[in-house]
Amino acid sequence: MKWFEKLTRIDRRVIYVLLTAFVILPFFIPFKIPENIMPQTRRLFDFIESIPTRDKAVIITFDYTPSTQPECHPMAIALLRHCFKKKIPVIGLSYEPQGPGMAVEALSMVSAELNRAAQSRDDSVIYGADYVYLGWKSGRVAAMIEMGENIASVYPRDYFQNPIDSLPLMRRVRNYKEIAIAIVVAAATYPDEWVMYPQARYGVKVAAGLTAVMAPEYYPFLQTGQFSGMLAGMKGAAEYEKLILEHGYTDKPGRAETGMNSQSIIHLLIIIFIVIGNVGYFFTRKNK
Amino acid sequence: MKKTLPLAVCLIMGILMIVQFFVPHPVSLRFNSMILNWVIVLSAFALVLAIGNLIMYHGNRIRRRQPGWIYSIVTLAGMTAMAGIGLAWGVDPDSLFQKIFLHVLTPLGATMFALLAYYMASAAYRSFRARSLEATLLLLAAFVVMIGFMPFGQYLGRWFPAFAEWIMLVPNMASKRGIQFGVAFGAIATALKIILGIERSWLGGKE
Repeated sequence: MKWFEKLTRIDRRVIYVLLTAFVILPFFIPFKIPENIMPQTRRLFDFIESIPTRDKAVIITFDYTPSTQPECHPMAIALLRHCFKKKIPVIGLSYEPQGPGMAVEALSMVSAELNRAAQSRDDSVIYGADYVYLGWKSGRVAAMIEMGENIASVYPRDYFQNPIDSLPLMRRVRNYKEIAIAIVVAAATYPDEWVMYPQARYGVKVAAGLTAVMAPEYYPFLQTGQFSGMLAGMKGAAEYEKLILEHGYTDKPGRAETGMNSQSIIHLLIIIFIVIGNVGYFFTRKNK
Repeated sequence: MKKTLPLAVCLIMGILMIVQFFVPHPVSLRFNSMILNWVIVLSAFALVLAIGNLIMYHGNRIRRRQPGWIYSIVTLAGMTAMAGIGLAWGVDPDSLFQKIFLHVLTPLGATMFALLAYYMASAAYRSFRARSLEATLLLLAAFVVMIGFMPFGQYLGRWFPAFAEWIMLVPNMASKRGIQFGVAFGAIATALKIILGIERSWLGGKE
């Protein structure tokens, strides 16, 4: 077998071993690759920055599953840190059946982290007053539209079975009029429905946090202004983490930043393998 | 009558829902609210139907000892256990339900998805070849976007990430928008066909 033929027939086990080694590497040899912030990430950050403190609420939907957790969960956590630190009320909900598990983990983790460091009531985050989690609901399109009239009729109780009227935040937020933006953190096509129904009918501002695979589908929504920002994959999450770190909303780097090191190296490795395969293919074809 | 009644209901409700969208009168809004609540309730019934279907399907597999029947036991046991634990001890952040979700389902799901990276890397190496002009263009675009969106991309020059962004915002967006328009027109046509009773496959049975 000639050298160029060997290039086209690298054993898949070699690829797998190298892939494993390069994924693990950044966890043992920490290094920092400076992140360039994409305009869509900055747009979402700036939008949240522009929301007045203790005024309108932000809806964050947790519509992802454990399989897409490495991309979507850091986004949700970074968004929660930003909103909680800015004293913007948060209403969480899910239309993905596995979403509540992810939502409860993110909300309890970020609220506990801030409450541990809190010096007074003003620094702490209280369930019911500063944030609420409404849980999962069937018939999502109908639920999204009906929330524009009356959130309590769709969610008479929250995820933890508290009557909705017993929560001070929900006594103030009756429908989309008191919502500044709905940020859909999703691993499926849920953002389409938020644009088609709550935005078209009630003018709700919509932004999205999506897996990298989904992001190209949603660029038209950014260009038309139907999205007020977008976080694309782990990179989007890492960029948002960097922004909140730079602006003093947190004092430690997030999970996506470490993940991005592994992901960047793996992308490089895949590119190198594709180049090797094509060099081999080119010379094989030339010799035929 | 078996078909006429559902078709008549579909026609009347379809037209009413279109009309109410453009009428902001309180009566129209109340009607819309009522229908939307019906839809939510009906969706909940669909969930009951789905659980029943799952139990019947896996129950049959276990009874007939079909290949892989042991996994059907795992499915039914997992579903029953999680539902039971959630109903009995709640779903609070410190509950057993949440602990099982975080420490069993989450690592399992993440592992399954992580395996895809291995297949993708191997498949990209084997099949991503510049065999034709179109394949070469696709390859070059993929390289530019991958490198441009990586943090390394900025080291090749400030123009490189901007070029990757341009590919996403112009050629990618033009094609995506074309597809979305096509899908939207198709959806409008299908909705009209269903409302007017031309498309009847949703009724089930032979046409």
